[in-house]
Amino acid sequence: MSVGLHSVQEPEPEMVLEVEDLYTEIYLRRRVVHAVDGVSLSIRAGETLGIVGESGCGKSMTAMSIMQLLPPGGHITGGSVRLGGVDLLSLPESEMRKRRGSDIGMIFQDPLTSLNPTMTIGAQIAEAVHLHRDVSRAKAMDRAVEVLDMVGIAQARKRIEDYPHQFSGGMRQRVVIAIALACEPRLLIADEPTTALDVTIQAQILDLIERLRRELGMAVMLVTHDLGVIAGHADRVSVVYAGRVVENAGTDDLFARPQHRYTQALFNAMPERAGDSGESLLNIPGLPPDLSLPQTGCRFAARCQFAQSDCRASYPPLEEVAGSRSPGHRFACFHPVGKTAPIELVRTRFAERNNVEPVTLLQVEHLEKDFPITHGVLQRKIGAVSAVADVSFGVSRGRTFGLVGESGCGKTTTGRLLCGLDLPTNGVVRVEGADVARWKGKEGRRRRRSVQFMFQDSYASLDPRMRIGSILREPLEIQGIGNRRSQEKTVRELLGSVGLPYGARERYAHELSGGQRQRVGLARALALEPSLIVADEPVSALDVSVQAQILNLMRELQNTRDVTYVLISHDLGVVRYLSDTIGVMYLGKLVEIGPADDVYLHPAHPYTHGLIEAIPGVDPSRERQAVPVLGELPSAANPPSGCRFRTRCPFAQEICALEEPVLEPTGTAGHRVACHFPLKTGGPSPIRYRRT
Amino acid sequence: MIGFLIRRVLQAIVVLFVVSVITFILLHMLPGGEARAVLGVKATPVQIAAFNHTNGLDKSLPVQYVEWLGQVLQGHLGYSYHLNQTVASLIAEKLPKTIVLNAIALIISVGLAIPIGIRQAVKRNKAFDYAATGLSFIFYSSPIFFLALVLVLWFSLDLGWLPSEAPQSGSVVGILSQPTELVLPVLTLVLAQIALFSRYMRSSFMDGLVQDYVRTAKAKGASDLRVQYLHILRNSLIPMATLIGLSLPGILGGALIVEQVFNYPGMGLLFWQEAQVNDYPVLLGVTLIGGAATVVGNLIADVLYGVLDPRVRY
Amino acid sequence: MPDSMGPNPGPVPGDAPVIAGAAVDEPTGGPVDGEARSMFRLGLEVFVQNRLAVVGAGVIVFFLLFCFVGPLIYHTDQVHTNLMLSNGAPGGAHPFGTDASGYDELGRLMYGGQASLEVGLAAAVLASVVGTLYGAIAGYLGGWVDSVMMRLVDGGFAIPPLFLLLVLSAIFHPNRWEMIVIIAALSWLGAARLVRGEALSLRVREYVQAVRVMGGSSMRAVLKHVAPNAIGTVVVFASFAVADAILLLAFLGYLGLGLQPPQTDWGGMLSDAINYINSGYWWLLYPPGIAIILVAISFNFLGDALRDAFEVRLRGR
Repeated sequence: MSVGLHSVQEPEPEMVLEVEDLYTEIYLRRRVVHAVDGVSLSIRAGETLGIVGESGCGKSMTAMSIMQLLPPGGHITGGSVRLGGVDLLSLPESEMRKRRGSDIGMIFQDPLTSLNPTMTIGAQIAEAVHLHRDVSRAKAMDRAVEVLDMVGIAQARKRIEDYPHQFSGGMRQRVVIAIALACEPRLLIADEPTTALDVTIQAQILDLIERLRRELGMAVMLVTHDLGVIAGHADRVSVVYAGRVVENAGTDDLFARPQHRYTQALFNAMPERAGDSGESLLNIPGLPPDLSLPQTGCRFAARCQFAQSDCRASYPPLEEVAGSRSPGHRFACFHPVGKTAPIELVRTRFAERNNVEPVTLLQVEHLEKDFPITHGVLQRKIGAVSAVADVSFGVSRGRTFGLVGESGCGKTTTGRLLCGLDLPTNGVVRVEGADVARWKGKEGRRRRRSVQFMFQDSYASLDPRMRIGSILREPLEIQGIGNRRSQEKTVRELLGSVGLPYGARERYAHELSGGQRQRVGLARALALEPSLIVADEPVSALDVSVQAQILNLMRELQNTRDVTYVLISHDLGVVRYLSDTIGVMYLGKLVEIGPADDVYLHPAHPYTHGLIEAIPGVDPSRERQAVPVLGELPSAANPPSGCRFRTRCPFAQEICALEEPVLEPTGTAGHRVACHFPLKTGGPSPIRYRRT
Repeated sequence: MIGFLIRRVLQAIVVLFVVSVITFILLHMLPGGEARAVLGVKATPVQIAAFNHTNGLDKSLPVQYVEWLGQVLQGHLGYSYHLNQTVASLIAEKLPKTIVLNAIALIISVGLAIPIGIRQAVKRNKAFDYAATGLSFIFYSSPIFFLALVLVLWFSLDLGWLPSEAPQSGSVVGILSQPTELVLPVLTLVLAQIALFSRYMRSSFMDGLVQDYVRTAKAKGASDLRVQYLHILRNSLIPMATLIGLSLPGILGGALIVEQVFNYPGMGLLFWQEAQVNDYPVLLGVTLIGGAATVVGNLIADVLYGVLDPRVRY
Repeated sequence: MPDSMGPNPGPVPGDAPVIAGAAVDEPTGGPVDGEARSMFRLGLEVFVQNRLAVVGAGVIVFFLLFCFVGPLIYHTDQVHTNLMLSNGAPGGAHPFGTDASGYDELGRLMYGGQASLEVGLAAAVLASVVGTLYGAIAGYLGGWVDSVMMRLVDGGFAIPPLFLLLVLSAIFHPNRWEMIVIIAALSWLGAARLVRGEALSLRVREYVQAVRVMGGSSMRAVLKHVAPNAIGTVVVFASFAVADAILLLAFLGYLGLGLQPPQTDWGGMLSDAINYINSGYWWLLYPPGIAIILVAISFNFLGDALRDAFEVRLRGR
């Protein structure tokens, strides 16, 4: 993957981008945010530099500073940005404009909003050509077709007439890439290019960027919060924290021997790293510092377990690792991983689950949910979206069931059916033997307390006009539990158990951080002491360090309160970390179900295999196969016949279109798969290659 | 696009139906009903009963409504006993003039409001923005007749630059051939409308300025002007189309006042004059046409919306 | 807040409670201060920062005092005509001059203002209440009931309000109370449409759905969550509606369909002024005209600022 890492004394490729000591400030109404605080980095031709850090650390601002496209109030206050030796910061705006789009191309996070909805995509690509090359309209269009073809859009000649809304999210990101590449830039800046996309599509896009980099010999700057993305696709990495580069190294070197304590902490917070060890994630306490306040010393000291007085006194210089195998590994830490005497990191081991014969708490039988599609003035029903189609599973008390799938697979609908927010078209959901759909009227509302829901968007699920105390007391009031005094007491206990101070009860949701709000969401779900909590993407909106805090909390509370979870997520890593059993959904169908580790390590369904393979690995040395999940999700209004996955399956045969596969046992006990050609299990997994 | 239009047309028909019902109900709210309106206050009960019978007014309301609707659909909007003319012919005579006046004003005000709004959005919180915002608030909050009177007072009576009366010609061509007489009525309408449209254009364009596609365009190397006029403009015109459609009733109301102040021989003046003498058939006929005009205007706005926004063209 | 940052009840391992530094996970996180700030406080702050709104509120208070307290200090006869004093220029005993009937213009401005403000405020309140109930019912019931109710509103919207106003006042020759009802009858439509839209969007908010999961009734969801969150929309509407109502009343007065003499309102005063526009009696024209503009503009400022203030909740994101 990495160009020229092991090659013999070839001349080094030319340096494309050199950023030195860059400072960017953003003037807000009352304060100044020091978004970029002395960043230096460089990228050679044909090389990919990963910039990684949590939200608000200044990584996007660095990218926007290079482009000189800062938000209102943003100013570059120091340093230099050289592109091919030319200092961009000294150029007048008219000259800089000529370089944007021709020398530097950029792709953005959200492909759904990055394209002009009222222009054809052909016109949008051709515009980039027109602006920088003196060509005719027809020539510019020809070039548009050429790049569209290059980014893998079929029938490019026909599709240039289409508008962005006629493309899916992944396809739109390809169009954005086509715009960025239309003039063959020397540098491509990709700012979180796949964050808004599904995991299988994410893999397709990242592979595309890598292929284009090789073909065009570009320098690529890959900005992301996801270490996994970096692992598979960057040659070198700069870790950014609070507006500064804290560590800089070759990818393999960084993953093998992280030096800075922040880098180490980031790795430890990844659920993929915890694997099946039964250990808690090592989370990073607290939040990044407020960049509008003056900083002395190491920015990370306040959250660092290893910080000492020298860390708080002065900022550590960026120094080379002594005797490093790869040169250029630099970090800014007084007490790095390598140097300090190893301190025993306290990983809490979670209590072993009691292996008493489990009692079934939740039983889902042949669950189906159709949403009607209506048409015309009379709202005539012309069809139905089959959101959930014949899903059955059971969950034992005190265990966690993880439901995985991409957006549109019906996992959220399933979650809503479980707690009676929607009523099923067919099938039954039983909790402790009782049919959830029959929980109506006064008695039904009383029974509802046994199943609670944890929403994905903690901000939207908390009433903006209520204090946290009232929000937590509300379920108790509704159910008429206790008097005001005992309710206050419960609120205090709840806040304590989710790690929030009692003072938080006076706060409003908008005053809390995302992680704190999600804690409140969890506390509210716990208030009624339910036997089952359905958690819909509880951590997907959070940074990795905060995500680890919430996941650990959920796990801890499960052990102390004997609560059962149904965890819904698109992230297999998260699901595997918490779940005993995993169910994989595709287009309304449960395609595979089994013990968590078994499903994760020995997937039997090609789709599960694809999902796992598409997760950008935490281990950069792992060789990745070609993307196994092809194309895009078909419409649930008109699902493919037979096996619904067959249109994207590399192994599909005739029978897959004719006959719908049913869940059948495979491998270990409890592992079942719905596939005509399940992958072989047992022995070393056929999909886990290691580079020699 | 076709499906979208069909849906809109059907909706418009429903709204027109509601308008006709409201008008019909108003007709029957008249004290003493239509008979007293036609025969005058001194009519005897016997006369009224006779009138009601010959005109089918003693039938049940739904039957009357159906019959009335049938008449309206054939273009029979009633008869003005005061002017001794059918309402339809009166409207046919006055409507074109009202349309001309309003079309001129609308084109000018939209044509000015768009660049003003854009400049305000781009130079937000600068002197121009403050000035334009201040003026638009003043014009928006002024009763339009006061605006008209002040303009007449200044430009006609004090300075003597412009005539205070609109063209009195019987034909549209005649009206257009007297442009100086048109200046003050048009100016009044323009000032009132610009206040609303520029304010809306400003916020619509400001929404556009922070969109992600603007960043994409800038990253391509497009200049600010190019981004503004090539990319944002069309997107920000989409809500404008709807707004203009929605403000048609207000515009027609404003036209009524302006026609009255400047004695412009359009529907508004007719309406006001007949309101003075309680000529109900004319009032209701004009109201019905006003409602229909609004509905049609909204339909045109919808078509424009479809043209501007490719997302509705299915 | 006395003990909002009270003693820490023991954090979970590895997670320092950082309430004070809340929202710094956003790139431009909020300032760190130890005080819980309510929506109301935040809104008030935004409102006060909007200088135009403060000026607007000041102007409104001034006119309320001027019209309702003013006559107690500045006594004039607004009932008996006195043609001896007809159309006197400003000065001496009559700082704003006199009108055709010999009424003192300054006193008349107070007297007419009472009608304008009373009718404007009352009509706006009535329209807001009726429209809110109507919209809330339509939005809450949904389905075909909602469709029928909203098509009625569409129909009402299609008819130019001034035309309707003229027809209605021609039919009724209204007194002050009927005037309020008629103006409200025209402007409740806007409130109905707004509140219905708000109800529809609030109904699917997650915090409203959360009530169902907890076993709460729909009534509770509406009273505890939907209504308090929709109130902002209504208040903003009401503020704009006052401005509109005052303008509508002025139109009626101007067209001679307003209050009957010796009663008057600012629109009626303007109507009287037109007869003398050729005579140069400017003192009859400007005071009521400017009064209308000032009050209308103030309520528009107020509405604008309130809208910004209520949108504060979006800033927390």
